[in-house]
Amino acid sequence: MRDEIRKIQELMEAAEYVTDAPVATSVHLAMRLRKPLLIEGHAGVGKTEIAKVMARMLGTNLIRLQCYEGLDAGTALYEWNYQKQLLHIKLHESTGRSAKEEEREIFSEDFLLRRPLLQAITQEQSPVLLVDEVDRADEEFEAFMLEVFSDWQVTIPEIGTIKATHPPYVILTSNRTRELSDALRRRCLYLWIDYPPYDKELRIIERKVPGINHRLAGELARFMEALRRMRLAKVPGVAETLDWALALAGLHADHLDDAVVSETIGCVLKDADDIKRFRAEVQKSGLAPFLQVSG
Amino acid sequence: MARFAALLRRQGLPVTLIHVTDAVRALEHLDVGDRQEVYFGLRAVFVGRPEDLPAFDRSFEAFWRVATEADGVAEALAPSLPEEAPPAVERDAPREALALEAWDEGGGDDGEEPLGVPAASEREAMAAQDFASFSADQLDAVYRLTVQIARRLARRISRRRRPSARRGRLDLRRTLRANLTRGDLIDLRFRRRKRRKVRLVLLCDVSGSMDLYSRFLLQFLFALQSVFARVETFTFSVHLTRVTEYLRARSYHQVLRRLTAVRDWSGGTRIGESLAEFNRRWPGLVDRRTIVIILSDGWDTGDPDVLAAELLRIKRKAGRVVWLNPLLGNPSYEPLTRGMAAALPLVDHFAAAHNLASLRALAGTLHL
Repeated sequence: MRDEIRKIQELMEAAEYVTDAPVATSVHLAMRLRKPLLIEGHAGVGKTEIAKVMARMLGTNLIRLQCYEGLDAGTALYEWNYQKQLLHIKLHESTGRSAKEEEREIFSEDFLLRRPLLQAITQEQSPVLLVDEVDRADEEFEAFMLEVFSDWQVTIPEIGTIKATHPPYVILTSNRTRELSDALRRRCLYLWIDYPPYDKELRIIERKVPGINHRLAGELARFMEALRRMRLAKVPGVAETLDWALALAGLHADHLDDAVVSETIGCVLKDADDIKRFRAEVQKSGLAPFLQVSG
Repeated sequence: MARFAALLRRQGLPVTLIHVTDAVRALEHLDVGDRQEVYFGLRAVFVGRPEDLPAFDRSFEAFWRVATEADGVAEALAPSLPEEAPPAVERDAPREALALEAWDEGGGDDGEEPLGVPAASEREAMAAQDFASFSADQLDAVYRLTVQIARRLARRISRRRRPSARRGRLDLRRTLRANLTRGDLIDLRFRRRKRRKVRLVLLCDVSGSMDLYSRFLLQFLFALQSVFARVETFTFSVHLTRVTEYLRARSYHQVLRRLTAVRDWSGGTRIGESLAEFNRRWPGLVDRRTIVIILSDGWDTGDPDVLAAELLRIKRKAGRVVWLNPLLGNPSYEPLTRGMAAALPLVDHFAAAHNLASLRALAGTLHL
């Protein structure tokens, strides 16, 4: 294994992010090849976390662009601060400057509201740009973003062209509610994060909930593994596991039994039908199948 | 690397030149002696969606096993290679396949003025006729007619949506901007709530006899798609398949071939399970601005309770649920199958989709 990759893995672990070789390799390549990294996976598996950890690791700023339906170029790039411009005009009404001068004044950088994409290309040091839940934005926005990514420059008619001296590292995340365009996929490196296997989840629990009983942590990881195999409407992610672990640690539990599980299952199952199905399953064959090593 | 890329392409991965150059550049930053590392690295470059993973794994495995013999790879992979463009029709396949054949031959050039469009009176007769009763050679003409009607409807619907002159809320920002050089607010600007288009989610039964109707509905709605924000399409019989991507193909020709490739003829219909899979895997697709259309005859070999529970889940989220059942076109039909009986109370709109006239009527109901 390359030293750089091992280093990344170590740095990520130091930044409280439990990682593995695929994640570290992808991050390493994304930084080296200077390509955006598209991360897909179920909700709550730690996609967004990667960008945060990367920023911490590089000691640089994290700039986040949260996507939503209807997000447009203006909101993502820049807007003029109209209120401020208007006030400025009112205040200087009596100075008798020409309209031309006035215009130059109010369309200067002082009156520019920098939105995430513009922020990302005007930093002193390459920041990490997190484009979160890109599948929620419209396809037109996707195309616009690709345009920005291709040469990292933006033209503002009143000011001129701004070109990034330190282009950002880009992380895009998607929950796959919409299939992203092939053009975007081509432009990116790709990482699929699945639910963690048993030992990774165990490490995550012990890392994020320090002081948790070792036996309990092991049982939790087993339990989650079995739970995800059930046909659930809302499959719990790692975030749910951690909520649960914290709750149980708070209750000073040291193992899972019927009473504890039944009181706290709401931490991981958040759908009435799922809970009903789970309870029926436990009534039928007890908790044991959830705690056994899978075949 | 070029050879590996070619292999991946044969396995169906959308590999481009960019991928290949990236892969070469990636190798410079990887420990080439570490097979694991090379695997993870190349995977990040070549695989763009989880569905492509198995094919990549197979190829990687095979390539590095026999990397020394250039041609040995293809042979090693021979059994797992998907047949290249499976023949659209098998001779002994039922009538639906005949329909396919007829369409496949006729489709393709969208811009061209169709030659065989029937005369007006003939069209009227066609509009009322059940799709299933057309002979194979008529289907081509019917298909073209379907698209024509859909396009005309699309034009009409988009005209209907032109914004009205009514004034909305005052838009402070734009008002200020418009009056910047005046010093006073003269030119008022208003903001109207942006009209958002409706999304469609289609769940089409493609088991047995439903396949033909599904195809017509799909074609019809795709010709209509400019009216909608997004159309997501799934087919189901025993399993659910997302086919949205397949339908983006350039020509109708390709679409048919691709659909044929994903078809699964493995027996009965399990609507409930298919809906459950839909809810589980694509929970974010349905919201208040979404119309969910299910096309099925309701002959369900699964559990009706599951069907009811899953449909309820969809109904809670969706703006509207439409169930299309071609059998409804038959005057003597009553929705008595257990599946249909369980589903009916949860459906906002129940209609037939068995002929052109009913498709046309359907278009009128597709708004919120």
